[in-house]
Amino acid sequence: MSGGTDRSLDRSRPPKSGAVRPFDFPEIIASTLPNGLGLRVARMKQVPLVTASVVLKGGEAVLPDSLAGLAFLTGTALDGGTGSRSGAELAEAFEEIGSSLSVHTGWDSITLSLTCLADRKEGAMGLLAEALLEPAFPPDEVDRFKQQRLAAIRQRKMDPGSLADDSAAHFFFADEVPYHRPLAGTVDSVQALGPEHTRSLWEDRFRPQGGGLVIVGDVDVGEVETLAQSYFGGWEGVPDPPKPFESVPRNRGGGVIVVDRPGAVQSEIRIGQVGASRSSPHFFPLQIFNSVLGGAFTSRLMLNLREKRGFTYGVRSRFGLRRKEGPFLISTAVATDVTADAVREAVSELLGLLEGGPTSEELTQSRDFISGVFPLRLETTGQVAARIAELLVYDLPDHFFSTYRDEIRSVTAEATVQAGQAVLRPDELMVVVVGDGELIREPLEALGLGPVEVVSPL
Amino acid sequence: MLNVPVDRHRLANGLKVNLSVDRSTPMVGVNLWYAVGSRNENPGRTGFAHLFEHMMFQGSANVPKNRHFELVEGAGGTLNASTWFDRTNYYETLPSNHLELALWLEADRMGWMLPAMTEEKLRNQQEVVKNERKERYDNQPYGDWDERIQGMVFPPAHPYHHSVIGSMEDIGAATLDDVAEFFRTFYVPNNAVLTLAGDIDPERAIHSVERYFGEIPVGAPIPPVPGETAIAPVIGETVRVEVEGAVPLPRLYLAGRIPSVDSEDFHAAEMVATVLGSGKASRLYRSLVQDKRIAKDVLSYVFPLQTSASLLLLWVTGYPGASPDDLEAALLEEVDDLGSVTQKELDRAVAMTETQLLREIQHVGSRADLLSMFDQIFDDPGRLNSELERVRSVTRDQVRGVAERFLAPDNRAILTYIPGDSE
Repeated sequence: MSGGTDRSLDRSRPPKSGAVRPFDFPEIIASTLPNGLGLRVARMKQVPLVTASVVLKGGEAVLPDSLAGLAFLTGTALDGGTGSRSGAELAEAFEEIGSSLSVHTGWDSITLSLTCLADRKEGAMGLLAEALLEPAFPPDEVDRFKQQRLAAIRQRKMDPGSLADDSAAHFFFADEVPYHRPLAGTVDSVQALGPEHTRSLWEDRFRPQGGGLVIVGDVDVGEVETLAQSYFGGWEGVPDPPKPFESVPRNRGGGVIVVDRPGAVQSEIRIGQVGASRSSPHFFPLQIFNSVLGGAFTSRLMLNLREKRGFTYGVRSRFGLRRKEGPFLISTAVATDVTADAVREAVSELLGLLEGGPTSEELTQSRDFISGVFPLRLETTGQVAARIAELLVYDLPDHFFSTYRDEIRSVTAEATVQAGQAVLRPDELMVVVVGDGELIREPLEALGLGPVEVVSPL
Repeated sequence: MLNVPVDRHRLANGLKVNLSVDRSTPMVGVNLWYAVGSRNENPGRTGFAHLFEHMMFQGSANVPKNRHFELVEGAGGTLNASTWFDRTNYYETLPSNHLELALWLEADRMGWMLPAMTEEKLRNQQEVVKNERKERYDNQPYGDWDERIQGMVFPPAHPYHHSVIGSMEDIGAATLDDVAEFFRTFYVPNNAVLTLAGDIDPERAIHSVERYFGEIPVGAPIPPVPGETAIAPVIGETVRVEVEGAVPLPRLYLAGRIPSVDSEDFHAAEMVATVLGSGKASRLYRSLVQDKRIAKDVLSYVFPLQTSASLLLLWVTGYPGASPDDLEAALLEEVDDLGSVTQKELDRAVAMTETQLLREIQHVGSRADLLSMFDQIFDDPGRLNSELERVRSVTRDQVRGVAERFLAPDNRAILTYIPGDSE
């Protein structure tokens, strides 16, 4: 039909790949301002954009239960304006230059960032510094952010997926571990917060020492060093040290919890336990372990629960790596009548991998997948800035991402099994299902994973 | 400001090919748009275009089930697909030394998908898609909003009247014959755009494309979109639906018809939406969220649709106990006041759009997708580079004009969700 027909073409097998071209994580130029603020600059020139982030160590995990949600609220409340600009004026100033302030609060850090056109970076960094260093926390605005948060908590409770995530955290972690609660706080804790709290958290923790300013994009290093010093050089102080805690499970015996949602057409399933920390010596083997289990389209969980049995649209697993051991979690949503079957299959895939480890094909597949997609997740100034911020938050060496792919490629099957066995304990496995208790309780009991407790939504 | 290179080619079988070279990182985005979506579905087969998309991952003559995923992920790539009103796109982003792999996979399923189809695979994916519907629509607060809004904005005979996901019944009714017919009708090179963006050698790339896709036969001309596509530019009245149910907060959606994505007024409609509801300095945020404190959040969106009309959407989520009437009154107050739009507000909307588009094109995958889109809609992929100029040229008068014509009471679908007794 076409002139381009190529009779030598053999379609029966995949084509051979060409020669690999190298990929390097952008060079990080590191320095420290006299006030102790780390400066990290990386140049990316493909598109005339700049991302600037200020990263503060310590997030929600430094707070007691009574103040849960305060770091989150404080970050949000920076939108309330500054000494010289109302919240509306601040938003307008950012958006007039096509930018916006985004604040991300996690368990271990608070990050303020913006992305703008490169030739607008000076104005944008000035606004970033103003929002960070001169917040006004007007009482009526802080109250509005609080009401928005309370409404959002209400939404989480009625969203089956969020409810399942929050319930799993509650049943995985002991009460003294901050991770047992929802990241942005509870109705009770948020209800009690006010502008005096945001002000005091800002005083205590929004300090330069140990934090960082990360600038990525189409910039000149000398120029941003000057800008950094002029906008952030006058900032002073050392943040309060965080209170240490150990991440321990709620109970050592595992169990099955049904969070009852009568009439639910699906069950949201969470299976897991207390997992690993960001500084785990098993970091790289755990990436492989997770990829084989449930971190990719071709993982065991997907092939079994989706492609073989049609139980679900999707299933995945992940290790929430935090300063202390975060959750290991398998997540999926399935039709009510196959809930117990899906739990049985997911648990059996997990135990099978823990016992037998990956096959050599799976090991190769996962190593190639993770090392191959690595550059795909570093395409934007924002993605690169987030990775550099991670280095600062978790005290990782600057070369961490430069050697990442080599580390992944050198993981062995033995190391993968050892990592899984060192981090996971089958006896402690918790199954948390948000679904119709009347219909799923008995089939879940029949699995023999322990007594099934039916509870109301938290 | 934008300078995305693009070389156009067309194979003898009608396949349009775009090459966009950027050798700065060793990655390539491979992106295929087929000009088929939920608009092409026949009565009784709603959701079929999307179910078919799932079947495209179930193997082809030389690729066993699951092998597509294994090969792309094993090459260190990512892949997916999505189905929308007017199109279905398939894409891989992968290390550039594996470009041929992606071409081989895409060509195999464009040319030789049917030999691999079985009843078992179809049944399996029908279950997967039914679960997708349950997860996203039926077990999700407000999950069915788009289905309801489409039903209110477009008349029953228009192809946008039904949702992309389709009804449970229709998903279950699909047969292997449907798969075969749909494939032969729409999955033909003369109904597709292939874009390669990133680290490619253009001469070798076009040679490879020719090699893998060249012998796929041209298909018959594409049949017209079924149903009645000629509709009035506006709904003709205010349509209301109230839903009481399992939602945490009251929420109001306001939608109306707007000119299609290829019309002159489309960018003005985009600016209307951005002025009203994008960002914390937008009118709706400032008025409803910040000043009146009647809403927890607001959102605006313009659907880029091709078939006779498009859709503009605003939504407002109220606090617990907020009265839907108050939400509506506050929303309409802003909607009716667009005549007072200032140049400063328009400049803000333009600046935000600029940054947004630049952020998007940092991804080779998005760049490839945008080029395919501009090719399908305008037969001009290079139009991407002048997009911001068109956005910048929108005047206050155009914004006022679009607001007057398309946000008036004769073009409003108002959908309200109210928390039911269960809450």
